Amino acid sequence: MSDHTHTEDPERLAEFEARVAAGEQVETGEWMPGEYRQEALRLIQMHANSEIMGAMPEREWIPRAPTLSRKMALTAKVQDEVGHAQLLYRVAETLGRSRVQMIADLIEGRSKFHNVFHYPAETWADVAVIQVFVDGAAMQTQGALRSSSYAPYARVMKRICYEEDFHIRLGLDVYRTLADGTPRQRAMLQDAITRWWVPLLHFFGMPDRVSPHTEKMLRWRLKVKSNEELRQQFLRKFVPIIQEAGFTVPDPALRWDEASQRYAYAEPDWEELKRVGRNQGPKSAERLALRQDYHRRHRWVREAVERWGLLAA
Amino acid sequence: MGPARRLSALEQDVWAVFRQATKHDPHVYVGDVHASDPEMALLLAKEQYARRDPCVNLWVVRYSQIFATDYGDADMFRPATDRSFRFGGSHRDQQRVYREAGRRRDDEE
Ligand SMILES: [Fe+2]
Ligand SMILES: [Fe+2]
Repeated sequence: MSDHTHTEDPERLAEFEARVAAGEQVETGEWMPGEYRQEALRLIQMHANSEIMGAMPEREWIPRAPTLSRKMALTAKVQDEVGHAQLLYRVAETLGRSRVQMIADLIEGRSKFHNVFHYPAETWADVAVIQVFVDGAAMQTQGALRSSSYAPYARVMKRICYEEDFHIRLGLDVYRTLADGTPRQRAMLQDAITRWWVPLLHFFGMPDRVSPHTEKMLRWRLKVKSNEELRQQFLRKFVPIIQEAGFTVPDPALRWDEASQRYAYAEPDWEELKRVGRNQGPKSAERLALRQDYHRRHRWVREAVERWGLLAA
Repeated sequence: MGPARRLSALEQDVWAVFRQATKHDPHVYVGDVHASDPEMALLLAKEQYARRDPCVNLWVVRYSQIFATDYGDADMFRPATDRSFRFGGSHRDQQRVYREAGRRRDDEE
C-alpha cells in the first residue's frame, strides 16, 4: 500500500478529482490515489470497530432488561450492531486489509473505536440515552456519509441508516417510559443525560481547523460535512428532546442563537477525548480484554470452520 | 470489451448474496458474507440480509466464480448510434392506433 508521501501521477489525480467533484463514485478495483485508499480504509475500519465495540455496553443489559419485550428488542438491536460491523469490515476489506488483520488490530489496541463506547452503561437509563442520543449522533454522521465517494461504503450506509432509524425509535420508547415514570425513574434518566453530555459533544470530534488535510477529505468526499456542522445538526434535533421532557442539559452556557441558527455551548475538555482515543477511557481496557477473551475462547471454532472449508473446497 | 475480469476477493471465503423478496421479483445482489462452505454462507446470509426485509429465496455465489466487466469499459454500454427504435417513445402514433383499435368497434355496436 502506498504511504502518505507517495506522489501520484498528476494527470490521473486531476482526472480522479474531477470525477469525484462531479459527484461520481469510486468502485472497488477502480484506480484511486494511494492516500484516498489509506484514508478511506482508516475511516471505515474505525467505523467497523465502533459498531462491534458499540454492541458491548448494551449487550451487558440484555439479561437485566426490565421486561421480556424490552429484552427481545434490545437483543435485536445488538444483533443489528454486530451486523453493521460485519458489513463494514467487508467494505474495509475491499480497500486491501483482511478482516482477520483488522480484528487483530482492534483487540490488540492498534486501531481506534469511537469515544462513546469507552464509557460505562451504569443504569437502564443509560440504555435509553445510548439508543436515542448515541445512535442519534451516529445517525448524523452516517446519514451524511450516504453520499460518500466510495460507492461500497455509501451503499452499506443506506442499509445501516435504515436500521439506525429503528434504533432511535426503540430508544425513544424507553426514554419516554422513563420520562413519564416515577420520580426515581426520572432522576435516573437525568443522571444518565448528565453523564453522557460531554461524551456526546466529543463524539463529533474537535471543531475542524481549516487544514489542507480536512479540505482534501471534504473535496474527496470521504468526509461530507465538518465536525462542527454535524454537532450543530445533532444539537438542533436532540437538545429539544431533552428540554421538552423537562430535563436539564448540564451546561449553563448552552443557548440557542437565533441569528446564526446555532447552539452556543461550553467548550468540553478536549484532552479527555484524546485520552479516550488512546484507549484510556473508563471502560477501554475492560472491554478490549473481554473481546480478547472471547477471541481466544472461539479459536477452536475458527479453526474448525477453516478446516471444514478446506475439506469442502 | 476487455477480458472478463474475475472479482478479486482478498480471501477465498467471500460469497455474494442475492435475495429474492417475492416470487414476482428477481434475485438482487444485497452484499457479502464470509463463510467456508455454502451451508454456512446461506445461514449467515439469512441472518444478515433477511432478518428484516422480505425474502422467499437466497442465493450465495463464491466471489471467485463471478466474472464481471470492467468499470473502465462502461462506455460500451452507451449506444454508438441512435437507438430510439428500442424505446416506446418513437412509436407513439402506433401506440395510439393500437389503444384505439378496439374502442372504435365498441362504439359502433
Ligand atoms: Fe450501528
Ligand atoms: Fe444503532
